[in-house]
Amino acid sequence: MHELSIAAYLLEAVDGHARQLGASRILTINLLVGTRAGVVDESLQFSFDMLAPGTLAEGARIVTRRSGMRFHCAGCATDYDPGDGDFRCPHCGTFGQVVDDGSSLLIESIEIDP
Amino acid sequence: MSTHVKIITHLLASNEQAAERNRARFRAAGVLAVNIIAGPGAGKTSMITALLRALHGQARIGVIEGDIAGSIDTEKVLAAGAGDAVQINTGGNCHLEAGMVQQALEQLDLTALDIVLIENVGNLVCPTHWALGEQIKLCLVSAAEGHDKPIKYPDTFSVSDVIVVNKIDLIELVDFERALFYPAVRALNPTAPLFEISCRTGQGVAGLASWMHARLRHERGE
Repeated sequence: MHELSIAAYLLEAVDGHARQLGASRILTINLLVGTRAGVVDESLQFSFDMLAPGTLAEGARIVTRRSGMRFHCAGCATDYDPGDGDFRCPHCGTFGQVVDDGSSLLIESIEIDP
Repeated sequence: MSTHVKIITHLLASNEQAAERNRARFRAAGVLAVNIIAGPGAGKTSMITALLRALHGQARIGVIEGDIAGSIDTEKVLAAGAGDAVQINTGGNCHLEAGMVQQALEQLDLTALDIVLIENVGNLVCPTHWALGEQIKLCLVSAAEGHDKPIKYPDTFSVSDVIVVNKIDLIELVDFERALFYPAVRALNPTAPLFEISCRTGQGVAGLASWMHARLRHERGE
């Protein structure tokens, strides 16, 4: 459900950037989204397609690169992604410290027509 | 020929900017704003009414109530002694945004308040993404929800400035293992103060209230 709000902010941001660049059209939007950010790709594209007509981003494709969670285990001196499990180090079973909580929500780049 | 342009910006950058404007207003008025994030039924409104009673005579508290619909919570907090209260009905939106708080601030006289408690929409997933301009993010869970909340909603715990476990009086009756909950919380957030409270019995509420009052004095440089 919140993909609709995210799509509205995304559209405002990319449309603004594209206008500044003097673009005629946005073809692709490249995002970095954490695996735990609670964003579903299909819902985001669906919501975006509802809002985009009449803007420079009409018909633009959203491409999402995912970044996982990352913890650091001091004992093993190693980083790990806990995946869907709890936050214990897979090697020694103790709890590490979060490095990336998987909540990234970044616009990395856009592909535009001049 | 199309061009590829690097941008690298927070997707919700314009919300962040609106939140910064709200934060400046709170700071200028010497008001401590607290964004309360919790799932439905964790006891957000009960915690607010408990804090209103605990801080009665010490701090003037305004409340911004975010809800899908209705004004029942606003009526409750006014009856419990809130200095002022504003209802934001999101009309189905699952979280508050900075612009909504900005509108609510038009109806609140910050000069007559010390603390503004903002009750976000009951949801642990997305309210975390939207900064509102608060100085403190408060994550509230209840023992009755179980000990797995940090594993399921990590970013709410990692970004919070204080973490509160409500309904602690029920701990013997429900599946809430402190030994599983706290290590996961500390893996995500090594420093946030932790409070166990029961809004029903009043246990622990005074400690939370005095921590909040200390933060208010800190915010004012006292």
